[in-house]
Amino acid sequence: MRNPRRVWRPWGAVAWLAGVLFVLPAAWMVLTALHSEPDAATNPPSVAAPLTLQGYAEFFGAGTGVSPWPPLINSATASVGSTVLVLLLAIPAAYALAIKPVRKWTDVLFFFLSTKMLPMVAGLLPVYLFAQYTGLLDNISLLAVLYTSMNLPIAVWLMRSFLAEVPKEIMESAALDGAGLLTTLRRVVAPVAAPGIAATALICFIFSWNELLFARVLTGVVAGTAPVFLTGFVTSQGLFLAKVCAAATVISLPVLVAGFAAQDKLVQGLSLGAVK
Amino acid sequence: MTSTSTTEPLRAKTRSVPRHARGRRRGRAEAGRLAALLLSPTFAVLALVIVYPLVSALRDSLFSSGEQLDENGFVVQGDQFVGLRNFADIVRGAAATRFWNAFGNTTFFMLTTVAMETVIGMAMALVMHHALRGRGVVRASVLVPWAVPTAVSALLWRWMFASDGVINAIIGHQVLWTTEGWHAKLAVIVADVWKTAPFVGLLTLAGLQIIPGDLYEAARVDGAGSWRQFWQITLPLVKPALLVAVLFRILDALRMFDLPFVLIGNQKRSAETLSMLAWDEASNLHYGPAAAYATLLFFYVVVVAFLFVKLLGADVIGEARGRRAVGRRAVGRRAEDAPAAPPREEVVPA
Repeated sequence: MRNPRRVWRPWGAVAWLAGVLFVLPAAWMVLTALHSEPDAATNPPSVAAPLTLQGYAEFFGAGTGVSPWPPLINSATASVGSTVLVLLLAIPAAYALAIKPVRKWTDVLFFFLSTKMLPMVAGLLPVYLFAQYTGLLDNISLLAVLYTSMNLPIAVWLMRSFLAEVPKEIMESAALDGAGLLTTLRRVVAPVAAPGIAATALICFIFSWNELLFARVLTGVVAGTAPVFLTGFVTSQGLFLAKVCAAATVISLPVLVAGFAAQDKLVQGLSLGAVK
Repeated sequence: MTSTSTTEPLRAKTRSVPRHARGRRRGRAEAGRLAALLLSPTFAVLALVIVYPLVSALRDSLFSSGEQLDENGFVVQGDQFVGLRNFADIVRGAAATRFWNAFGNTTFFMLTTVAMETVIGMAMALVMHHALRGRGVVRASVLVPWAVPTAVSALLWRWMFASDGVINAIIGHQVLWTTEGWHAKLAVIVADVWKTAPFVGLLTLAGLQIIPGDLYEAARVDGAGSWRQFWQITLPLVKPALLVAVLFRILDALRMFDLPFVLIGNQKRSAETLSMLAWDEASNLHYGPAAAYATLLFFYVVVVAFLFVKLLGADVIGEARGRRAVGRRAVGRRAEDAPAAPPREEVVPA
């Protein structure tokens, strides 16, 4: 670690300034959501205007003609559902790659990496035609399956780096003591790797919640997700800035919470696996 | 040591080796089977949901769809095999200008955003690394742009770039940012850098934090200034982490879709990327050309990634191992009560 006496004071100020600069647009959104419509529309923004929950009330109270709950529930279903599926599939796969290295395990990792080179739009059309054929258009479970496969490579990649931190000696002594695979997993691997797995789950949740391209094409009135709802909401309610800001804030809230919760492990995992 | 004294234990050891190795081989085969079993569901899902659509898109790119007249003047329904005609049309046919424009935009966005994100991200990482107080808060706050959905961030920037928006108020000019022209490109770049530079910064910061502090100590003793310390210690040692972060940013930037789509809009020449072009063709039911655009984009991404890895030597997987080795060596040095001179092979960039 750095020697504290060498820290040049202004660096702290610069860091804070950068932080503020990057948060400013989002802070403006949160603030505008709390203003009344006339105050929200002024330019430059009226920072000191009285606060009101009117924007939120109208957003949730269906004062806009469409209830925001179905899309929010859809997003939650697709994100949570796909995250659970990812964990079920990725934990065994990452375990296989991390603890019992397969021959050519680097090739396997490269295969996972190469899926990052595929343009999503390439898959869009075949998936759309498939959904049309099977009647799965506007069905949230199709999105959940798609998000699962989109996040699977990243999840395996991240979790492998977390699982690789489990000391081999402990596993070996557990095996010597006659512990089976399941017992080893539950008693030895899980406690060490749990925070990393949790962070991976939160990252998958964030990516699924934010996805727009597939959701836009494959869903409609029934299964539309929150980002799709937001783009439509802007078209119909764009003039009511406070209301739209309230909508954007509500839709950003789950991923922000997930991001903060995953913060430490997220940076560590991403720099080990270095994804996105 | 003399040979006589070690012969006996050595022979005992060699005798036991084959039995041991046999057991290990059997264990290895078992482990291999188990690993294959554990990996197969993941591969099955990826093959079904990712590989199948891609192969299908490749196939589509060789067909034309919809109604056509055959050589006898009969109307033919359904897919017609046209070979590489879709590609030929794109590269030098009627659609060529639009394709090359989108190709140029994609490349331009990739080069500018990745360059700016790398520089800004690196600077932020250095600043955060130096500033001890409140580092956690600053780190959390720069996470905000990354976590916010692109649909929301594109919306935020559309308001700020509106004709009566904040940006125009600050610069004191009336610029129509989100209409056609260079300013549309600039708006996309600013919004993208805002969204992803902090994250490059966080990844670089993680790389900075594992550089052993005694390297700097030693460099100071040797009289190296902070500029030299940066070029000869910080940059070479943070390079693996930085290169991997940049590689992933390049992959994402080449496939950019949501941001220009929401910020500027569909079918705008100035900001249309290859992904948007493919999307637009697909939504107009031109499946063949859409698939051809997507295929070309895929090959472009592969070529760029390959060149990047080859030219700059980004060690994507060995990265974690390499850095651990550096850490171990540093620990070893500390244990030996490190000499003042930094080990040359690490400090001097190759």
